[in-house]
Amino acid sequence: MTDKIVETVLEYAKELVKQNVVGSGDCISVRAGEYLIASDASVALADLTAGDVKKILLTEAEGEYALHAAVYKNKEDVLAVCHCHPAWVTPIAEVNGKIPTVADDMAQIVGINCKTCKNEQKAIVKNLKKRNSILVEGDGCVTTGRTLNEAYACALVLDKAAHCYVGSAALKKNVLINVFEATLMNVVYKMKYSKKNQQNLQSEEGNRNVG
Amino acid sequence: MWDKEREQELRRLVKDSGVKLLEENLVQGTWGNISVRLDEDNMLVTPTGLDYNHLTPEDMPIVRISDPSVWSDGKKPTSERKIHAAVLAARPEINACIHSHPVFATIMASCRMPLPAFTEEMQRVFGGTVEVGAYGLPGTKKLKEGTVAAMQGRNACFMANHGVFCVGKTMEEAFDVLRLLEKSVYEYIQQKTLEKTGEKVYSDELLFKLFVKKHKK
Repeated sequence: MTDKIVETVLEYAKELVKQNVVGSGDCISVRAGEYLIASDASVALADLTAGDVKKILLTEAEGEYALHAAVYKNKEDVLAVCHCHPAWVTPIAEVNGKIPTVADDMAQIVGINCKTCKNEQKAIVKNLKKRNSILVEGDGCVTTGRTLNEAYACALVLDKAAHCYVGSAALKKNVLINVFEATLMNVVYKMKYSKKNQQNLQSEEGNRNVG
Repeated sequence: MWDKEREQELRRLVKDSGVKLLEENLVQGTWGNISVRLDEDNMLVTPTGLDYNHLTPEDMPIVRISDPSVWSDGKKPTSERKIHAAVLAARPEINACIHSHPVFATIMASCRMPLPAFTEEMQRVFGGTVEVGAYGLPGTKKLKEGTVAAMQGRNACFMANHGVFCVGKTMEEAFDVLRLLEKSVYEYIQQKTLEKTGEKVYSDELLFKLFVKKHKK
């Protein structure tokens, strides 16, 4: 694995900690050819060092890494996975299991709503086929991206949307973005708005074809 | 016409301000945008869809305030430049604008609720109640007109289901407006949570309990 990829994993581990969207059992990874480069799932992201960044063959991944590997195998365009535990996201599943489309940045990067699925690899992978983020029953959320930057941004936006949803209890009901407009924003984000930036970031984060 | 040295200084200011937005989680990803006045008919703005950390001062395009479809230098400007241009054109005393997506203010924006100026500082800094601009898709005329209307006589407004728009005589002042808005919304939510629960001390757990109660009905 290249030093640049390790640096990227360390950089975003630090950012997730800084933005307080971490909890117990966080794990972030990027895909590099037939391998995944991941943070050690048994080490808190706050304590992560270069020695804790692992290189694992997709076909030999086990436990938490098997989940990441399954996501990569099932979605060619995903090059980064972020399994984290943002404070406002985690408890939503206890109530009704979804974060509605309350803000335009959520509509753009996550899409319409974000549901909760069972805490099983099969269910998570299945749910991530048609979306880039999913809440996991009792285990935070899994966000994906074309870069680690995008998976990280997804986690922040999801946490903010969850906070907006919960915070509205003190005010009045959120006005939701309608399905047509949310879908339109999501398509424009993927096909146009973010395209150039994601291409730039892919080279910035390290060459993913280098195992 | 402005001098080149001043332009370089302002380019650096826009670049640093974008990074500051990310560092303080006042925006996520590549969203939000910033402008600074160069002279009465020109402004520097952030480009569209690019990471603030990777932008260089030279990437900031110069956009004509009286006709924001005209731009030069730098990279393709933000699609929200028309809002910046309209506000700068209408308010000669304003030199810096920030559009961002901060967490607490977005709660108000997603409920489409105005924020009353409940302190003397808010009255002075915001110019009164912080209004909500009409909802519109990003980059549209509807969003521009809604935001411009909500900014009348104010230094900040919410953009429905979107974020906030804040202005100042300087960039530092625009940041002060933005930070005060976040702090004020946080205090307002705390106050409303206590009113609704009858409790004396606010905590995030209390707000979450209120949410659960509301959604389990």
